[in-house]
Amino acid sequence: MAEHDLLQLDNISKFYGNIIALEGVTTSVNAGEVTCVLGDNGAGKSTFIKILAGVHQQSAGTIKLNGEEVMFKSPREALDAGVATVYQDLAMVPLMSVWRNFFLGAEPTKGIGPIKMIDQAKAMRIAVEEMAKMGIDIRDPEQPVGTLSGGERQSVAIARAGYFGARVLILDEPTSALGVKQSGVVLKRIVEARNQGLAVIFITHNPAHAYPVGDRFLILNRGKSMGNFAKEEITQQELTGLMAGGAELQELQSELEEAISGVKKS
Amino acid sequence: MSDTGTADAVVDATPSDAVASAPAADERLAYRSIFQRLFIRPEIGAVIGVVGVWTFFWAVSLNFGTTGQTQNWLDITATLGIMAVAVSMLMIGGEFDLSSGANTGAMGILFILLIKEVGELGGLGLSIWIAVPLSFVAAMGIGWANGVMVERTALPSFIVTLATFFILRGLKLGLSKLLTGQISVTFTDESHGYGFWQPVFAGEWQRNDHIWNSRDVVYIGFLVLGAAIITLAVCEMHFVRRDKLAASGLPIFGAGVAGVAAAIFLMHTTDGVSANILAAAVLGISILVGLYGFSTWRFEPQAAAGGLNLDGSIMPPLLGGLIGVGLASVASFAIDSDNAETLFFPFTVQGLRVVLMMILAGGGFTLLMVAGNKALKQNMTTKLVVSSLTAAALVGFAFVIRQSAEATKFRTELFSVLLFVALALFVWSVLGVRFAERRKIDEAADRTGMKAMVLGLALMITAVVLRHLFVVQAELDAGVNPAKFSVRMLWFFAFTAVMVWILARTRFGSWTFAVGGNAQAARQVGVPAARTKTQLFMIVSGAAWLVGMLLAFRLSSLQAGAGDGEEFEYIIAAVVGGTMLTGGYGTALGAAFGAAIMAMSLVGIQSARWNTDWRWVFLGVILLLAVIANRFIRDRAEGARR
Repeated sequence: MAEHDLLQLDNISKFYGNIIALEGVTTSVNAGEVTCVLGDNGAGKSTFIKILAGVHQQSAGTIKLNGEEVMFKSPREALDAGVATVYQDLAMVPLMSVWRNFFLGAEPTKGIGPIKMIDQAKAMRIAVEEMAKMGIDIRDPEQPVGTLSGGERQSVAIARAGYFGARVLILDEPTSALGVKQSGVVLKRIVEARNQGLAVIFITHNPAHAYPVGDRFLILNRGKSMGNFAKEEITQQELTGLMAGGAELQELQSELEEAISGVKKS
Repeated sequence: MSDTGTADAVVDATPSDAVASAPAADERLAYRSIFQRLFIRPEIGAVIGVVGVWTFFWAVSLNFGTTGQTQNWLDITATLGIMAVAVSMLMIGGEFDLSSGANTGAMGILFILLIKEVGELGGLGLSIWIAVPLSFVAAMGIGWANGVMVERTALPSFIVTLATFFILRGLKLGLSKLLTGQISVTFTDESHGYGFWQPVFAGEWQRNDHIWNSRDVVYIGFLVLGAAIITLAVCEMHFVRRDKLAASGLPIFGAGVAGVAAAIFLMHTTDGVSANILAAAVLGISILVGLYGFSTWRFEPQAAAGGLNLDGSIMPPLLGGLIGVGLASVASFAIDSDNAETLFFPFTVQGLRVVLMMILAGGGFTLLMVAGNKALKQNMTTKLVVSSLTAAALVGFAFVIRQSAEATKFRTELFSVLLFVALALFVWSVLGVRFAERRKIDEAADRTGMKAMVLGLALMITAVVLRHLFVVQAELDAGVNPAKFSVRMLWFFAFTAVMVWILARTRFGSWTFAVGGNAQAARQVGVPAARTKTQLFMIVSGAAWLVGMLLAFRLSSLQAGAGDGEEFEYIIAAVVGGTMLTGGYGTALGAAFGAAIMAMSLVGIQSARWNTDWRWVFLGVILLLAVIANRFIRDRAEGARR
């Protein structure tokens, strides 16, 4: 483990025709670590995830998993290699029950030949157990996922990824649609997943969420890497500044202040 | 919630009360009573529809309940149902197949052309043994082509299968004309293999050839036993089970059972009106006594039922309801007793009177139900009082209806049904006052209850099936019409059972829901979405092949237009059965019930001697009601979204 990181990305680029979506991105993540990928809208975060998840393939650069060069041709391949992605839209079917969602695509079966059926009792039991490990007490595994709160849904997705032997867990904006308290819950899940030995890639546009849990930070802006820092090399303030392109943010801030004072006067 | 007491603390599991009540299995899991659990099943709308439509036509026509008419609508249900079940699966998977209707005819015609024309061209005659699998392969090919085209082009399946529809329609006509010079194709029993395959696809059970004189004893026995078991199962799942059973209830239970048996025997052996009324009274009292005994034996008594509390929320609907039923009774006297022919045709004076009575009665009883619901929120005593008044109104209305029954050709059975509903309502609220309703999950009791319920249903279904399959000598002597049940019913049941199992229990079933509910999500977690959808198209095409075979062997001759345009009937049946048009939700069983509703409305309208043109109005109303009801059920099933 010491010689190479679990997942190592070198100079990853992605072009859609003449559009450069991502250029020369380098970062790494190790087991039991959290690497945060920060960027504003349109920074290339989605492309970055899709390459890792096997939805798209990089146009240039190399991905090394455990020191071996890999190229994921489909989401299934990435999953089989132990790279699980929890998407922003959660990859859940809201009208289906918790346990069916938990096992979707990899249901445990019993029986042989044409009468092979899902082992429902086992699936329900495991789903409840795994959720309990994440600290979520599922009321009824038959309840539709649509009735769960946002934080609980994230937890189902994270628990699912962990259960199916993920070594690298990619979380796409897990806190963006959540309230303050729920975000806290999800951040706790991230730390728990890390403590269980998973390598976590946490994609967010919120430095306040990223800084407390991250061990390494990759900042993207307009498809380009603005830097790849270990935690000790950077403060939260600097992180925020880099993310929005420092100067721009300051400008915005002063404009805002003007506008606010203007309102107060009138 | 005016009064506070220990009973209320258990009844209302509000956060403040939760501390006082005993530690529940999981306090966040709101307990759902047996009725609430039944009412969130996606099939429930269609089941209620089947019962409602059947009762409606049974009440307004003279022969809808007879075996002949039953066989009529079951026959239509079979072919429509096979397709509706398959189409509902495809719709759950988020796609449509507009070629499914034309496909049924296409498969039948292809089959006939294979055994006839191909044979003649070669001079030999293609055996049915070869034509059956060959046409099946063709069906799989069409389904596969539909699926692959939809997946590859990413066009809406509406467009792609519309194209397939036109192609099939043209091919049917073109090939028939090209090969036979006619727009219909025919085959005969001279074809090789006919002797084996004809019974497989078109075998018939002639009812009048099967005499079984003790049929009615078995029928009534099974029916009553089944109903009793279901009733006890509902009690088991509704009330709190005692820790220690109280044997003192058993003799009372036994007395009730004996009373019920005596009453049924009395009803069966006598004909006089007074004897029947006596028997009915004995039956009613015995049911109450028996259930009371059973509950004393098994269930925890109610700690405190609470005092009568008819407050401002209950009185208006209660009084309004009673007045409504009263007005309906008056209106029923206004129905011209000499003019029975056009009774249910809506646009006659006579019809309008009946409609007026029905609206008044319907409104009145709805208000009474609202009052009952509000009373339930107060306490059980109030509920008992309101229920008793409702039951009394039902009894009164039943007698009024019977008064004008002969003249208006109202079925006299309606009288019995109304009385029975009144009895059920009354008995149920008496038990509610006396015994504690369950507020917690009790899995052991639920399992027992569920098993008993399935057993009871099986008994009742067996009873009805036996009654329709066999004839007694007395019926033959009276000149009962012959009825023949086609083997297609078995195909329909088997197909539905397999599809229900696939949807509920297999990975493919799970994936079907997933690709319809959120195809992208399904793909992301590794569900082979394209393959799943293609296989769904193949299931529809396979079902079309089966229906094609059933049609070909039944008719021996098929028009080139056979099946065209029926695809919307399949979709309607599926939607009536609770399948969501946007995919991801629905059941195969519901679609089968939806098909039954449509078949019943077709046969029922003829049976009620209405002009069959009204069928479409009827279907439109049913569809609208079904969609609204299903929407309601689904929202309940999902619970409040946060």
